[in-house]
Amino acid sequence: MRWRLWLLMAPALALLLAIFAAPFLHYLWLSTQAQSVLTGLNPEPIGAQQWLRLWNDSRFWQDTWQTLRFSATSVSLEMLLGLAVALLLDQPLRGRGVLRTISLLPWALPTTVMALGWRWIFNDPYGPINRLLAGLGLPAIPSLSNPAITWMATVGADTWKTTPFVALLLLAGLQTIPADLYEAAALEGATPWQTLRRITLPLLTPYLLIALLFRLAQALGVFDLIQVLTGGGPAGSTESLALYAYLNAMRFLDFGYSATLLLGSFAILLLLCGTAALVWRWGSRLLGELR
Amino acid sequence: MNHSGSATFNGLELRALSRRVGSHTLVDQLSLQVAPGEILALLGPSGCGKSSTLRLIAGLDSASSGEIRLGGRSITGLPPAERQVAMVFQSYALFPHLSVERNLSLGMELRGVARAEIKRELDQVLTLMQLDGLRQRKPAELSGGQRQRMALARALIRRPALFLLDEPMSNLDAQLRDNLRAELRTLLRSTGVPVVYVTHDQHEAMGLADRIAVLREGRLQQLGTAETLYRDPANRFVARFLGSPSINLIERGNEQLGLRPERLELVEAGSPVPQGWEALEGQLSHREWLGDRVISHLTCPGHGNLKVLSNTPTSGEALQVRWRKADALRFEARSGERLPGSRPDQPS
Amino acid sequence: MARLLLLLWSLGPMLWQLYSSLRPSAALSGTGAGGWTLEHYRQLLQGDPPFLTYLLNSAVVGICSTALTLALAVPCAYALTRIGRRQARSLTLLVATAAGFPAVLLFLALLELARDWHLANQLLALSLPYAGLCLPLAILLLQAAFADIPIELEEAALIEGMGLWQRLRWVLLPLMAPAMASSALLVFLFSWNEYPIALTWLSRTDLLTLAPAMARIAGSSVFTIPYGAFAAATVLGSAPLILLMLLFQKQIISGLTQGAMKG
Repeated sequence: MRWRLWLLMAPALALLLAIFAAPFLHYLWLSTQAQSVLTGLNPEPIGAQQWLRLWNDSRFWQDTWQTLRFSATSVSLEMLLGLAVALLLDQPLRGRGVLRTISLLPWALPTTVMALGWRWIFNDPYGPINRLLAGLGLPAIPSLSNPAITWMATVGADTWKTTPFVALLLLAGLQTIPADLYEAAALEGATPWQTLRRITLPLLTPYLLIALLFRLAQALGVFDLIQVLTGGGPAGSTESLALYAYLNAMRFLDFGYSATLLLGSFAILLLLCGTAALVWRWGSRLLGELR
Repeated sequence: MNHSGSATFNGLELRALSRRVGSHTLVDQLSLQVAPGEILALLGPSGCGKSSTLRLIAGLDSASSGEIRLGGRSITGLPPAERQVAMVFQSYALFPHLSVERNLSLGMELRGVARAEIKRELDQVLTLMQLDGLRQRKPAELSGGQRQRMALARALIRRPALFLLDEPMSNLDAQLRDNLRAELRTLLRSTGVPVVYVTHDQHEAMGLADRIAVLREGRLQQLGTAETLYRDPANRFVARFLGSPSINLIERGNEQLGLRPERLELVEAGSPVPQGWEALEGQLSHREWLGDRVISHLTCPGHGNLKVLSNTPTSGEALQVRWRKADALRFEARSGERLPGSRPDQPS
Repeated sequence: MARLLLLLWSLGPMLWQLYSSLRPSAALSGTGAGGWTLEHYRQLLQGDPPFLTYLLNSAVVGICSTALTLALAVPCAYALTRIGRRQARSLTLLVATAAGFPAVLLFLALLELARDWHLANQLLALSLPYAGLCLPLAILLLQAAFADIPIELEEAALIEGMGLWQRLRWVLLPLMAPAMASSALLVFLFSWNEYPIALTWLSRTDLLTLAPAMARIAGSSVFTIPYGAFAAATVLGSAPLILLMLLFQKQIISGLTQGAMKG
């Protein structure tokens, strides 16, 4: 009987392996090859040279920094705003269901579709933001043409889209907290802030962690938004690792290096998520002891 | 009831049935027979292996060793569908998304039974179980008693060669339980096939079954009628399990004496002990008044607490409790095995 | 107060798109008068290829991916709940980690796959990687739903003589309907929104799904200020999804919630 169960799982597991595991083996091999226009698009083994190139590639490190900056800012904002929205939606208010659905709409829309919209909204001088500022007599914000602040526009667009997802996740967690805990706290005269700190957050911890790791992983791979909204510009100031890898493959036709970049990005992803998880574990344990 | 050990026995037969999972033995060398039309109860505390045995008979789990025979043929290796068994689960396991009617007919439909016959069987069983007016209802819309009848109906409609029930009354409230017990017994006997059911409740066992098999840690302790098990228990465990209030045990050297509360008499302290009787002096600690009877709790120095069932409340705190020597059951102190010699068969 | 803010924040950008799409280009650049126009929509719908083609392509891929994902995930989830505890747990953990993975990192390998197997520019072939990417979440959701069904129901069916397919068809799957609906919707949503793989697998304009089509529109602006057309494209591209969300909000939300809890 046992083997029949494995047979049921086999097709799904096979596809999973093909989609998730096989690519990495392929990348590992490809990163030791040179396959580009220079080699006539044929793979030629060159050992670890691609990795040396990666190590010395300032654009790679620049993109790493930009991707990290984007991810850290975006995820932090999303967690905070998501928590606020979740807390808001947790209240038994009128029209809560409708509000919940509407707040989820940004997440449901394709990134590329809205990215186009954001280009218009941030447009200088015709977009609504700058027109409003102009109407108030304030200087315009060249959101998409100033290398110093364009990345913030991307963070804004990303936060808009993914906060509802975080909010929904956290809302699910909030709804598992038994109501009588809150009632007991109210009887003891706890302030909302204390209730939040002592009851809500500790019980929400597993959900917070999942939301964090999930969003962090996704943010580090940001591609759609950047490509359509800024194209990596201005002057490559918003270029992400994923976009750089993509360009190497599709525009420069340098597949060997692209694979190397992808592996590098994955390594960074693992490192970061792993660290985040560990820090969280230690941090919450520490806080638990301090109390 | 005596059964021959011949290979053509027509009912359910378990031969040295065992089930082991890892290092844990759930059922240990269990052998017994259930004649057609006979109702057998598997009785014991939780973890004694009674549910495991039932699942083995049904074919839901596989046996590690031993044999199961039904109607003269071995069914040990067969899947549940081929055993012609019907089972009523403790939770009834009714298909929540189907109507009463569909719940009953689904099995037959999938077996390719003709529609006319399905209708006939349905009508018959629904009338018998008084569910006729509830045909289109879903299980969630039925009461506890109705759901039990539905589960029984589903089992009956299969016309099985063997009937299995898992704690059939436990999901009903106490009042319903008492009322339905007699009905259920009549129904089960009328099927004419062997019936085995599992329970932890001695009253349910005694009220419903023809014979009772007491199990402990996977092993059969004793098999017999309720009366036999009560009056002539094979060991201390069986003696303690049956009887409410439970039997009193006092130390006597390397023996233990089992004294049924209803076999004890309370008299004034210091009364002379007649020939053939034994007595102990004690203090009354408290009484339980239960309407039709009184349970007096006595503390006897050196012998612990004793429960006495008496209809006449005696006055006074210092009392003597006495019993006929012949009424006492003797058990070996360490193993709990029953020692021969006493066999109380006079009702009080 | 806070609710209003949330409402504005969520709907604002989209409402602005709607507004912009109905205004003539001149008005948008502030050089002309006001007024309303459907010119942008007309341009899109009569374009080459007409905008609706993209929506149709996305729908085809979406439905195909959904069907494939469910066909693979249901048996797998069933097996996971019936197999031993220990084995199931480690497998489930692996699947869960795959669920959060940014798919874009896989694009290169998938690209080579498409080339080697001649899957490029074939709409239905896209459902293969999409199904693969959606499998983790679908398996998690369906496994949780299977586990919620008491095993005694299946045992009763077994005793009634039902084989595996019969048990699935008549007892288990009907009870799984809500979970399957949620999973289906989430898969459809994902495939509608997916960009990098569609981008690299499809190059023929008339085969593009919505996401790469939008990107292409963004990249190829003949007008100096084509934002009216952009906005119209945004509105048209968002409309089906908004409709889907409104119709099936309960299923989608419960699907995500379940996924969160089991994660």
